[in-house]
Amino acid sequence: MKTSFFPCSGGRALHAPTRREFVYGLGTSLGSVALTSLLAAEQKGPLAPKQPMVPAKAKNCIFLMMEGGPSHIDCFDPKPMLEKFHLKEFTREGKMKSAMESGKRYYVKSPFTFAQHGQSGAWMSEPWQHLAKVADELCFYRGCQVDSVNHPTAMYQMNCGNRFGGDPAIGSWVTYGLGSVNQDLPGFIVLPEISYPQGGSANWGNGYLPAHFQGTALRSKGSPILDLQPPPGITPEHQRANLDLLGKLNAKHADEHPWHDELKARMNNYELAFRMQMQVPEVIDLEKEDAKTKELYGIGKDATDAFGRKCLLARKLVEKGVRFVQLYNGTWDSHDYIERAHGNLIRGVDQPIAALITDLKQRGLLDDTLIVWCGEFGRTPDNGVRGGTAYGRDHNPKAMTIWMAGGGCKAGHSIGATDDRGMEAIEEVHHVRDLHVTLLRLLGLDDNKLTFYHGGRFKQLSQIGGQVIEKLIA
Amino acid sequence: MAPRVIFLLLAASALQAEDAESLFVRRVWPLFQEKCLACHGNDEKKIKADYDMRTLESAIKGGESGVKALVPGKPDESPLYLASTRKHDDWEPMPPKEADQLKSEQLAWIKEWIAGGAPWPDEAKRNAIAKASADKWSAEDGITVKVKGALTPEWANRRYKPESLWGYQPVKKPVLSAQSSVHPVDALLAVKEPAPEADARTLIRRATFDLTGLPPTPEEVAAFESDWSDVSDRSDAWLRLINRLLESPHYGERMARHWLDVVRYADSSGFANDYERGNAWRYRDYVVRSFNADKPFDQFIVAQIAGDEMQESDAGTPARKDAASAGKSARITPDSELLIATGFLRMGPWELTGMEVAKVARQRFLDDVTNSVGETFLAHSLQCARCHDHKFDPVPTHDYYSMQACFATTQLTEREAPFLKSENTSGFEEKKYLEARRAEHLAVLKALDEKLLRNASKWLAEKKIDPAKWNAAVAQAKQGGGKNAKKGFSDVFGAARQILTKQGLPEDQYPPKLVGFEPQDFGNERVARKGLERLKWEMERYEPYAFSVYNGVTIPMVNVYQPLRMPGDRMKNGELEQTAILGGGDPFSPTTKVKPGVLSATSQISNLEFQIAEGVEGRRTALAKWIASKNNPLTTRTIVNRLWLWHFGQAIAGNPNNFGSTGKKPTHPELLDFLAATLVEKGWSVKEMHRLIMTSAAYRRTSFPTRSKPDELENSSYVTFTPRRLMAEELRDAMLSITGELNPTLGCIPNRPEINIEVAMQPRMVMGTFAAAWVPNPLPQQRHRRSLYALKIRGLRDPFMEVFNEPAPDFSCEAREVSTVTPQVFSLFNGQASYDRALALANRVLKEKAADPISRVFELTFGRKPAADEKAACTTHWQQMEVKQAQTSFSKPKQPLEVRREAVEENTGEKFSFQEKLPGYADFVPDLQPADCDAKTRALADVCLVLLNSNEFAYLY
Repeated sequence: MKTSFFPCSGGRALHAPTRREFVYGLGTSLGSVALTSLLAAEQKGPLAPKQPMVPAKAKNCIFLMMEGGPSHIDCFDPKPMLEKFHLKEFTREGKMKSAMESGKRYYVKSPFTFAQHGQSGAWMSEPWQHLAKVADELCFYRGCQVDSVNHPTAMYQMNCGNRFGGDPAIGSWVTYGLGSVNQDLPGFIVLPEISYPQGGSANWGNGYLPAHFQGTALRSKGSPILDLQPPPGITPEHQRANLDLLGKLNAKHADEHPWHDELKARMNNYELAFRMQMQVPEVIDLEKEDAKTKELYGIGKDATDAFGRKCLLARKLVEKGVRFVQLYNGTWDSHDYIERAHGNLIRGVDQPIAALITDLKQRGLLDDTLIVWCGEFGRTPDNGVRGGTAYGRDHNPKAMTIWMAGGGCKAGHSIGATDDRGMEAIEEVHHVRDLHVTLLRLLGLDDNKLTFYHGGRFKQLSQIGGQVIEKLIA
Repeated sequence: MAPRVIFLLLAASALQAEDAESLFVRRVWPLFQEKCLACHGNDEKKIKADYDMRTLESAIKGGESGVKALVPGKPDESPLYLASTRKHDDWEPMPPKEADQLKSEQLAWIKEWIAGGAPWPDEAKRNAIAKASADKWSAEDGITVKVKGALTPEWANRRYKPESLWGYQPVKKPVLSAQSSVHPVDALLAVKEPAPEADARTLIRRATFDLTGLPPTPEEVAAFESDWSDVSDRSDAWLRLINRLLESPHYGERMARHWLDVVRYADSSGFANDYERGNAWRYRDYVVRSFNADKPFDQFIVAQIAGDEMQESDAGTPARKDAASAGKSARITPDSELLIATGFLRMGPWELTGMEVAKVARQRFLDDVTNSVGETFLAHSLQCARCHDHKFDPVPTHDYYSMQACFATTQLTEREAPFLKSENTSGFEEKKYLEARRAEHLAVLKALDEKLLRNASKWLAEKKIDPAKWNAAVAQAKQGGGKNAKKGFSDVFGAARQILTKQGLPEDQYPPKLVGFEPQDFGNERVARKGLERLKWEMERYEPYAFSVYNGVTIPMVNVYQPLRMPGDRMKNGELEQTAILGGGDPFSPTTKVKPGVLSATSQISNLEFQIAEGVEGRRTALAKWIASKNNPLTTRTIVNRLWLWHFGQAIAGNPNNFGSTGKKPTHPELLDFLAATLVEKGWSVKEMHRLIMTSAAYRRTSFPTRSKPDELENSSYVTFTPRRLMAEELRDAMLSITGELNPTLGCIPNRPEINIEVAMQPRMVMGTFAAAWVPNPLPQQRHRRSLYALKIRGLRDPFMEVFNEPAPDFSCEAREVSTVTPQVFSLFNGQASYDRALALANRVLKEKAADPISRVFELTFGRKPAADEKAACTTHWQQMEVKQAQTSFSKPKQPLEVRREAVEENTGEKFSFQEKLPGYADFVPDLQPADCDAKTRALADVCLVLLNSNEFAYLY
């Protein structure tokens, strides 16, 4: 029997049960055969797959969030000019001066050498050894700008469109718009670091959308989903017995309230949870993957093990029909010692990401899967150099590099540009809301139609509407 | 016949030409303003697709497609029209947003106007036409609203359908027949074929949860059932019950929970640092006290907006009136109660980090408080008018900034406010755990300082530099105590460097900053230093300071890393803010200056006058008095609408934070007005409103429909009472209540119940470090306070609360969502907390030596006895589980005294780890554990767990 991971309706506080919910709720008492046929006739649960609004280039999305703000200048956007200005004093005038800029500031060059890779001649810094081999799969975008200079607000904006938090994350919007293929798993799964990013789980919250579209964090340590297993000492048979008693009491109660469909929904939910308890550990078990695959992703090697596991799991989840998977890595907030800090960070993700692209491609999944790599902002060409010679870079909302792969993006191209110091985007400049509109478009969604009535107004990911960045689309 | 037909056509088209012109003025041009010009002309720099619609010429010329967009006389060849139809293959639908699409009537206007030759009179002629036709048009199209300072004349002359202005209309109390014995609420609901009254048990359960958020005890149920059985006395019995519940101190807690949802209460600042707001709890308790005392709602409003401007309140103990006599200041310090009340103004998330521009952060506060006042008290989301005149409602940007000007002199402060007798100040001894953490951080910093000194010697030796000067500087630094006075921790190394720097020694002659630091050292130093900073905020809990505001100039700041104390002189060293309309909402683009004011539309529609002084003091008092005026229809309707929602699970006007034209219209406008008028008549007594609402037949109806047609059971019909799932807090509090574990004490510093241990220990990134782990209070009675009192950290939510739809405190929550999702099962069926409650319930019942334990469990959980089959099923299960439980052994869980944190150090990008000590766990007394109980108790706990998960427990009928 196929039912949704979150099979019941949301947003019930202010409206009456709908016909669909009522019928759906009858499922258990009619048995699974009847349920299946009923569901076939009616629309299924909230996560049931839906047709795209516009022709889709991609079906799934893997979103690689490099939390902390990766430096475009030290990754993909070389600035030879900084060699010339290295350690020369830098001054920024004007109103937007913040305390970050107290004290003297200097231009700093990138500690890394750059080279061009692939047919497309994509620029990458020296630590990107593996990604360089799949350079032609990537579409770089250097024109994006955000509003906020602080981590959590910039993270909220990149993830949810609204920098003050509390709005639905892009993964929630996508699952709201498209549903998910696999009804036994959440449609939007997040693989966070052991420590959550600044702003916490609101970065993958459902905001005002129904709770079914919330990102479910699969935790890398401890129980993958909170309280997935009963307390110690309670065996599955023991729990089954408890569930049976619960079923009996609930059935009697439901008989007395035959029209109250929420009751049945809640009963279904217990059965589904019991099945999930059995299944999730299997889904996330990577041990059965062959040694070659593990090696490809860098699993077992100190530097790459953690992110390699996430990338491999992401591939498995997409294969299982999960709509949107977001991976966190960080923190990329290298205010000092950028050579060491960014060097280590890049080496930690380089091989796993390249493996993910290669693996998806060889499985024929890359065309249907949009991969996005970004942080919440870029970094400055200047620094206070408080660590002596071990300089770093500070937050820069006006320039950054984002790249995409697969899923209908314009692979093998670099779109947009920043100025000669990497301070500000100057070509194909777009606010992040346009990037959001573009990502939705690639997934077959129209931001202007993907709206939700809340608090007396129709709301959308881009907040106020935006435009598709056509150049990013193949 | 033919010539005649031609003549008619000619006449018709001549007529059209004339009509088309006024059609343009009356319909088309306003439509362009509303739907098109935002992207096609108003902002010259940002014209989309190069298509400018400000003049006929440019409208004809078209945009980047190069095709003429408008062909006068030929709508079907005019892309302007074709795009608007949204059905043409070649033209993108316009306006792009689905929600903005033109109605067929609007499309017809454009079509007719183009067909009529697309005349485009200039502004002078437009005004002349509009003036000449004013009377005719307003009779047909609705009314214009007089507002102040609209950005364009078109917006100012916009017409509103009277029904979209319902919220502004003066409250009109419906006249009800004086003789009728029908309750006024029922008379106004006018339900046909209502369901019968619910039974006594259902009613007391409904009323008790609604007014206290707790279940009735079996004894209370029995007493009420007996009262109710006297049919002649039912009305009195019901009123006695309501009055008893309204007098319960838990009433205030329940109302506070609702109110704090609206105002977004939390104990932390949110964003990057998410610092604790150590004294926010005093505001939370103030709200509880206010509802319990039935403080007139108008006074409640004024205190929250302007308490600090008032002199003394009727509640609490007046404090420090001696200031004036001591000659310090002519000002009389308002009492603590009033200072605490203004915490409302600061409930939104806010911080100023060193990364941010101070002016931007200041503007964030101003925007937040303006919108919050609008949503909370006036059911108006004002933020829409921040950048442009409101798209749907008569709120010009000018109004937005006028209201904001009321806060231009409002400054944030944690200010002195002695504790009141009415505040619960127990439990401050927990401070010792924070002291322990503080000592730990200081010790780490001292050890690192010593390490730096050792590294320094090594460095000097390696460089073959004579250490004499360095040693002398170190000795000198040590004499000075070695403490960095500003930072408050040991820093001999830094002090010694400073001495040599001052002596002018070349930099290469003494050790550099952080000499020889390893990745681990960077991490440890940062964690300890930031830890001390964070503790300053947590220590505020025990200090007699209020989370409050004062009036004065805006003092320049670069960051806020510790509580803000009042400045010596409020008027010195800063800028007296002059509010201006901000172009695009940007604080660096002030345009027209504005004076403090209110929603200007109310002076015409609601006949509401106002006057706001422009001085530094008193602006908020004037604003608050305008809001709390008995004639302000927005205010009175807003609160009674909320009260209705809190009883029926649905509001009369479906968006309690938005009475604007896009919000849902009231289903029963007369009822809403009746309630609003009655509130004022009853001296703004909220308790009177509960009595009024709850004595209606509608409130007492059964939730069992008599007819079995679900489609007809619209909630808003009030045919039956709509059942609801318990709120997250009710679920937890009810469980604690029936196990007998609930500590019913009112008010306190925030407590910390046990939350999912993985979340409690989860490392949490905040600016530059980790936030401290969640360590529960040591004693069960400290942990088992009502959920209202649990520490609410924006960046760390209790997963149990979260999955059961507790709203995040980022936005005002006008009504809670109820969804049924799988993680709820994991929390309630698998989670430690609910298992602990099940065990405690089993233990309680067996300890009581109840004759019939299963019946007792049913009574406590559901307020009824089990039916025979239920009892049989539960008894069998109990016995079977006892067999299973007898084969299982349990060990006592150990509490972690420290936790290892692993992270990537931001300076070095390398992994590092450290031990976080958890001194709070040293004295931890766990709840009753399986290991403490025999198999019989544990088996009964299985039955209890099932009951706590049942639908009957989770739903209120």
